Amino acid sequence: MKRLRMRAFHRSVVLFVVGLAFTAGSALAQPKKPAPAPKTPAPKKDDGEIDMSAPDPGEIDMSQPDPGNSPPGDLEKDMAAADKKNLAVKSGPIRKTPLSWEDIVVVVRKPFLKSHRTELYPYVGTTMNDNMIRHYTVGGELAYYLSDTLAVGVEGNYYIAGFREPFDLVARQARRLPTVNQYNWSAALNFHYVPVYGKFAILDKKLITWEIAFTAGIGAGQSEVIPRDTKFPGFTNFLIMPNVGANMRFFITKWLTINAGIRDYAFIDKFEPTNRAMGINDTAQAARDNADSAFINNVMFQIGISFWVPTSFEYTTFR
Amino acid sequence: MNKTLAALAFGAVFATLVPEASADRRVNGLSTDKAVRHRRLLVSKRFELSPLFESTINADFRHIVGGGAKLEYHFSDMFSFGFIGVGSTAINTGLVDKITPTLLSQSEKKALEGMGMMIREPSKEEFEQRLNSMPFHGAAYVSLTPWYGKLAAFSQAFVAFDFYFQGGISIATLESNCDKVNVCNDPSPGKPRNVGGMIMPPDLNPNNDDPVNNGTKIGLYIGGGIHVFVNDFIALDFSIRDYAFSDNPSGADVSGPNKGPDQAVDSQDSRLIHHLFFGAGVSIMFPTRVKRTP
Repeated sequence: MKRLRMRAFHRSVVLFVVGLAFTAGSALAQPKKPAPAPKTPAPKKDDGEIDMSAPDPGEIDMSQPDPGNSPPGDLEKDMAAADKKNLAVKSGPIRKTPLSWEDIVVVVRKPFLKSHRTELYPYVGTTMNDNMIRHYTVGGELAYYLSDTLAVGVEGNYYIAGFREPFDLVARQARRLPTVNQYNWSAALNFHYVPVYGKFAILDKKLITWEIAFTAGIGAGQSEVIPRDTKFPGFTNFLIMPNVGANMRFFITKWLTINAGIRDYAFIDKFEPTNRAMGINDTAQAARDNADSAFINNVMFQIGISFWVPTSFEYTTFR
Repeated sequence: MNKTLAALAFGAVFATLVPEASADRRVNGLSTDKAVRHRRLLVSKRFELSPLFESTINADFRHIVGGGAKLEYHFSDMFSFGFIGVGSTAINTGLVDKITPTLLSQSEKKALEGMGMMIREPSKEEFEQRLNSMPFHGAAYVSLTPWYGKLAAFSQAFVAFDFYFQGGISIATLESNCDKVNVCNDPSPGKPRNVGGMIMPPDLNPNNDDPVNNGTKIGLYIGGGIHVFVNDFIALDFSIRDYAFSDNPSGADVSGPNKGPDQAVDSQDSRLIHHLFFGAGVSIMFPTRVKRTP
């Protein structure tokens, strides 16, 4: 009799466990909630007002993991998390429950943090303000962000030169050989400041965050005289090149951004003297000694993709 | 037995309640709300009138600088159509200012040619008068505003902005004032000439040919820009516009029938040129009262 009772008790426990397992299984089949529901008392009335009697609303439980701090991953996923919540809600019957302070985000935090991260920015560029010779650049910048708005970095550029239509046209039409220099390389130490931050919607579908950074730096470079007459040698110049610029940065993922901007490299360059013949400025040194100097603004448009290390970041503020 | 049945019944009831219970997951009234409520429809169903300034970017021979206006109707938040017209003046570029002082005047050149010298370079007048200007240019276009948003500057100023892209048809009037008596006086450029009843070969001198770079031109237009709204009905408007049409800005001999210089200037020397302009203006939206989304 006792054994039977034991069996009966055992069977009931099994059934109960099966029931619970089924419960758990069914629950798992539902869309996952991104955040655990707060343990609030059952509402007395569902009037949509904020429940001020929620347990200790002013206190934030620091032991709970922050649902916004997802592991390294896709920025887009994070930004779409709210939409996913809504989609999940719409898939089943909705029952309103009281709000709590967790639901109210007064200031949405930035989806991308740069502080104490390193940016590797390979880019290409082209001249914007020279109608005789066009330079294309292949370059890169390595910048370390001291804070979310300040950074220090180094950049390097390799230049590829090509003549524009007026170079030939002037020679052919006006019978004048233009005096031009090509640039070979440049490098700079730069400081970046990010004063403008914003976000925009594309076609009412996708939100993109972006910012504008201003840059100022000091660097060096090399230009090379292209001799008008190939009988005479050219010469190179070492240039001190301060630069200023502005750059737009569009945040794509937590470790990838698209950048585009302009940069003005200002310097004093030396050009081939106009009077050059056999016996007159016919050597590179003589031509350099009698070179004509001019202040140059070389404005470049640059576009590229930035990679960020570490590839993820942690928020230091609450949701 | 009763406990067995009770446990079974409890499990079954609990199991049947599970879907309902899980459907009762915690939601609130915000879940069904729009992402942005009471959004200001800053452009939809509004006219936009923009007094503006335009200047060429990186012009070869003459900067075109002028002022005008843009009138646009936004029939939705994203699509609009409009017209732009700009009256301009021309300013020589640094390249022209460098070349011109090195050239002989027309009288000096004639004097040397009278002494039997062959001078291939143009005189100052021949060089300068062949350059054309653009007294008027404009476009009719459709516009797409796919991006809108807001930005914070120095964490102080919070403004709305949008990016727009435009495409359409451009029109421009070009003007060159070459003296047809003393400067551009070749009656038949690149062709044999009848001089006193004698057929003379072409002079192969493009400097005295008509530059053939004036008149009205129709072409393509593309542009893009940004509105930065300072309030509900005034926005700063910055743009880059490309008016692409057939032109020969220097009036030079560029290409002949064989795609090379033929020592004569004619219509074949005109080619599709992108006239790139930077524009800045102030957009005023009408009606001035802005509508909001629910």
